[in-house]
Amino acid sequence: MCGIVGYVGSTGGDDAVDVVLDGLSTLEYRGYDSAGLAVPTPSMAVHKAAGELSALEETVPRDDLAGESVGIGHTRWSTHGAPTDANAHPHSDEAERVAVVHNGIIENYQRLRDDLADAGVAFQSETDTEVVPHLIRRYLDRGADPETAFRSAIDQLEGSYAIAAVFDGSETVYAARQDSPLVVGLGETGTYLASDVPAFVDHTDRVCYLEDGDFVRLTADGAVVTDGEGETVDRPIETVAWDPEDAEKSGYDHYMLKEIHEQPSSLRQCLRGRIDELEGTVNLEELSDIDHDGPVQFVACGTSYHAAMFGAERLRAGCVSAQAFLASEYASDRVPVDGDTLVVGVTQSGETADTLRALREAARAGATTLAVTNTVASSAARECDHALYIRAGPEIGVAATKTFASQQLALAMLAFELGDDPTRAELEALRDVPGQVQTVLETTDAKAVAEAYVDADAYFSVGRGYHYPVALEGALKMKEITYRHAEGFAAGELKHGPLALVTENTPVFAIVTGDGETARKTIGNVKQIASRDAPIVVVTDGKSRVTRYADHVLEIPATDDLGGSVLANVQLQLVAYWIAHGLERSIDKPRHLAKSVTVE
Amino acid sequence: MSIRSAVVLAAGEGARLRPLTKHRPKPMLPAATKPILEHVFDALVDAGITEITVVVGYGHTHVQSHFGSTYRDSSLEYVVQDKQLGSGHALLAAESAVSEPRLVLNGDQLVAGQIVEDVLDAHENDDDALATLGLIRHADVGEYGGVICEDDGTVETIVERPRDDRTYKLNAGVYAFEPELFDYLHGPEPHLNEYSLVDGIANAVDAEETVRGVTSDGIWIDATYPWDLLEVTETLFESADGVESTVSSTARVHESATIVEPTVISADCVVGPGAVVGPNVALGENVTVGANAVVEHSVVDADTRVGSGAALVDCVTGRNVRVGTGSTVVGGPGDVRVGDRVHEGEQLGALLADRVRDDGGVTYAPGTIVGSDAVINAGTTVRGTVEEGTEVQ
Repeated sequence: MCGIVGYVGSTGGDDAVDVVLDGLSTLEYRGYDSAGLAVPTPSMAVHKAAGELSALEETVPRDDLAGESVGIGHTRWSTHGAPTDANAHPHSDEAERVAVVHNGIIENYQRLRDDLADAGVAFQSETDTEVVPHLIRRYLDRGADPETAFRSAIDQLEGSYAIAAVFDGSETVYAARQDSPLVVGLGETGTYLASDVPAFVDHTDRVCYLEDGDFVRLTADGAVVTDGEGETVDRPIETVAWDPEDAEKSGYDHYMLKEIHEQPSSLRQCLRGRIDELEGTVNLEELSDIDHDGPVQFVACGTSYHAAMFGAERLRAGCVSAQAFLASEYASDRVPVDGDTLVVGVTQSGETADTLRALREAARAGATTLAVTNTVASSAARECDHALYIRAGPEIGVAATKTFASQQLALAMLAFELGDDPTRAELEALRDVPGQVQTVLETTDAKAVAEAYVDADAYFSVGRGYHYPVALEGALKMKEITYRHAEGFAAGELKHGPLALVTENTPVFAIVTGDGETARKTIGNVKQIASRDAPIVVVTDGKSRVTRYADHVLEIPATDDLGGSVLANVQLQLVAYWIAHGLERSIDKPRHLAKSVTVE
Repeated sequence: MSIRSAVVLAAGEGARLRPLTKHRPKPMLPAATKPILEHVFDALVDAGITEITVVVGYGHTHVQSHFGSTYRDSSLEYVVQDKQLGSGHALLAAESAVSEPRLVLNGDQLVAGQIVEDVLDAHENDDDALATLGLIRHADVGEYGGVICEDDGTVETIVERPRDDRTYKLNAGVYAFEPELFDYLHGPEPHLNEYSLVDGIANAVDAEETVRGVTSDGIWIDATYPWDLLEVTETLFESADGVESTVSSTARVHESATIVEPTVISADCVVGPGAVVGPNVALGENVTVGANAVVEHSVVDADTRVGSGAALVDCVTGRNVRVGTGSTVVGGPGDVRVGDRVHEGEQLGALLADRVRDDGGVTYAPGTIVGSDAVINAGTTVRGTVEEGTEVQ
């Protein structure tokens, strides 16, 4: 799980150091516990540092490397070995003839490492990656040219990888891909390589996505893609529509706050052209050829799993059999999946390894697969039979906010497409959501609530129906960015155990909308909490009498339960943000986390 | 040297536009369907400006979230001014961002691209001028800033709200200036506790610095009161470089509905069967006009729902307003009370601020102003001013 960057500049191109460092700064969402770069000309120079990218920037002797136009770089999220200088990439052989950066996990590294150690290689790090430069070196020593040595070493690897390598004194970058994303950029100022498009989108918008098993040779003139046999393969060159501005903070203190405030407009984008109120239908153009009436299974991780639970709940309401699974726990021999099943992978990045694995397994079992993602041309979008885009725009903050809201609305529309047709009132409620989120942003008391409870021992959130996944998501947001203990529960479950945790110093957030049976039951649970002296914050549209049990009220506009759950979540996002702000946490880059997790 | 950078002052609330400015600043109010500020940015970009610094304050997240970090390929930087102490103070907030000649203008007044271009041309071709001001001939100069120039354009007098009967030109609030102007902004005593840009310029004129004025033709409109938004929209429809009649490709208009030009219908709008929309109507994003409803001479902001059979004439709505089935905004002229002052015979049917909800069958007498979040029960007749958040039975 990491970000990699490579560059070969043409005459009049940029300094590789600048391209690599700028590229890495846009990939920090993929990891930020150490970083490094290698410039192979005129002779191999490797620089790396534990900590965020700024630590590397201070270490690199830019003046010494000025004018050099070839380089690779890496920003790391640790899987093997602690975040130290030694474990940072690039890794090289003892004589520094080759330097390698890697994203993924080499599953057979222990055996390779043992063999190499037996042959006398002294390892410098605890990483799985370090076997690669030593393997390459072994082939070089046997007289292989760099490309042959690189291919021979890659052939030895099992697992997932996007790997790039440079050779001492050479102006060529070699790379290979298996189960980890890698994209090539073709520009006038040189040829680019990265885990994700933003790393070079300032330089070019002409890109070429590599497929699993591809090798690529980058020179100043362009890129040659070959398969495992060395045969040249054509990968289409695409033009990406990516606005670099979206990756800036626009005057906000944090990307997270910016992205919370972007929700009205990202939700408008999500809905645009997809609702026809005159006809009373939802039209998802991408899914016009889907004709499915069997069961639906969702696979997803983290925040996306909460969206998947929400989607499954909505589908069940529309009389479709639907279940949500954690992608990492999904196995076709334990879940009944066959040709009648639609398996929906929900992944913001489209690169989440656990979700991709589950989707592949479902496809092997004969299921139809659908990716619900924010990232056009991501691995999930390309591998699945169908793709539904949530159109939230780039999200930089590690804690997902606007993409969750857009997943909610996209999945609600999916439910209308697959299940019972929507009523006019349901369609109008969907159309109302963006403006109502704006209202929440304008009127929220979340900051005051956060100030009141910044020193609490723990935070609990409860909800029923559509609000249960939101209770889980609210607690996850709190954990991610405040580092405080937080748990979400189905409102009815509290009394079956967790109530033992509730004290006068554990505020409980209860989501209650409308005044129907669901609301009345949740109010019953709220009373049980109130009688244990826990402070109660209700997130409500004010239609029920729940406010009489509340110490604080976070008000949301009145709408149906589905819309209400989107609005309630915005309140919980803001509470988490302001508590983290009060605790001076690293809100956009929480410790130990990365945005898109491409290892299982 | 050519000027490529501009500072836009967009920090003020615009208190006389309440209750529309309850949640967002005046620059974000709609002129036709786009925020006033977006028209200002258009004028700048058309004149070749590529870097824009926006001084924001009141309701600043609205500006930041709407525009992000670029507008039509020009970069946008934000400077947040916590307290709004006048235009000079606002410009000082951006001082650290200014090292070379700049343009500065107001983000809450519509200004023709021609005025911007004329000021830039004149300043770039004048080596002596510390600042160059855009001027227009305008009948309402007494309400704004007045300037008197010598024959060669050198500014002789610059004042706010001139009261004598000399012939002033109106200060359009568009200035090109050298960084040295900041010396004079630090200088003036705050006038009524506000540091105005005009005081700073007047100081420079008193110190015998060269300040020139350049007179242009073209639109300059300031929306002072809520009903001015109707006139602004009409003016934009009439003007060659204003706003054209359009229906967004993502809007759904029933085949039996009638659109009377000039009218703009934004993205995601729905116009039901038998409805009549226009002339002189601007529907913001995601507005619904129900079956057989009639909307004319009105500015209807985003997410508003106009119920079946309702009629809106000379109406300004905020966002998320719910006009119920069969409600009627009769149309102007009417007497409108703002604070202690009554404006007689204004062409305003009704002003419904953000999230006003009526339950249907409501009649709005001419000149009615309803504050945000007010709820009006079915069958009521309302007139005068309804305070925000109240329920009218």
